[in-house]
Amino acid sequence: MEQAIIEAAKYVGAGLCMGIGAIGPAIGEGNVGGHAMDAMARQPEMAGSLVTRMLLAMAVSESTGLYSLLIAFIILFV
Amino acid sequence: MSLSKGEKIFVGIILAAIIVTWLFSLPNIGGMEQLSEMGIGTKWIYTFGEEAGFFTRINWLTVIMGGIICLVVIIFAHGVSKKFSMIPNRKQSAVELFLDFMYKTVEDSITVKEYVKPVFVISTTLFIFIGVANIISGIPGLNVSVINGEPHFSLFLDTWYTPTSDLNTNATYALMTLVISHAFAIKVKGFGNWIKSFFQPVFIMFPMNLVGEISKPISHSLRLFGNIYGGGILVLILSYMVKYLILPVVLWGFFGMFIGLIQAMVFSMLTIAYIAGQIE
Repeated sequence: MEQAIIEAAKYVGAGLCMGIGAIGPAIGEGNVGGHAMDAMARQPEMAGSLVTRMLLAMAVSESTGLYSLLIAFIILFV
Repeated sequence: MSLSKGEKIFVGIILAAIIVTWLFSLPNIGGMEQLSEMGIGTKWIYTFGEEAGFFTRINWLTVIMGGIICLVVIIFAHGVSKKFSMIPNRKQSAVELFLDFMYKTVEDSITVKEYVKPVFVISTTLFIFIGVANIISGIPGLNVSVINGEPHFSLFLDTWYTPTSDLNTNATYALMTLVISHAFAIKVKGFGNWIKSFFQPVFIMFPMNLVGEISKPISHSLRLFGNIYGGGILVLILSYMVKYLILPVVLWGFFGMFIGLIQAMVFSMLTIAYIAGQIE
């Protein structure tokens, strides 16, 4: 019985961790993408260099979501 | 669409490789109960000596694959530099374009002139090693998973093991970046000014500055580790039922090559940014 409760709490905890942890990076990446779109609409000739910088900024802002992904994996597998 | 003879051979080889890997994986297609027995996320760690301490554990695959990647890069660079000519061929012009791009990026952010070349060498070396290691993680090859304490070798059932999916590799590079940035700061500013920079706006801010410096290598290394390790596990979990039919190839291409190259770029850009922040 105790083992079952622990097992259930593991899955609930991993799901909550990943679900709540994905909110922040989603908002951040949306901001980055939206502002990049604004800039591209204003200056279409800059689009090439803006895309690479947008991808870099997205990869950096994604990292907080990855921390929660790691924690979820640790809860599930370790 | 018309293909030349070389392209037809290339496409044929890739299709044959996919079919062969699919045939290899036929016995592995199964139900949900296999997921816990696949040894997901385990690493083959060998312990020599009596007790498992810090210095007596070794991850063989990280050492071997790191050495292989170094050898491949060295052989490629030797082959390019042997026939360096004024009129570049395709390989040489690609290398020159890439190195030129990296040099311009470093030149833009490093203000001290005589440190442009060392920083360029450090960041480009990191980018090449991590980039090749991440691209390998999108190609089927040799991998090892531990099931009940026994290492199981699998050929073409998983992607190549990459050194960057082991936290030790990334933490080594991140710590190296921290030490190098502070050594450069001492050289440029002098020891007294370097000590003073920790007490910057007011004296009370010392703990904040210290924690800020210590947290740099942690976030620097965990970002790359989380992307590569998490991506590999994600692909395995998403595709364990239709393994090697069509979906994993796309996922490997996305998580291995696209995300991997972007993360290698981010790693070297952050290296440049951390060093530039210290020596300005």
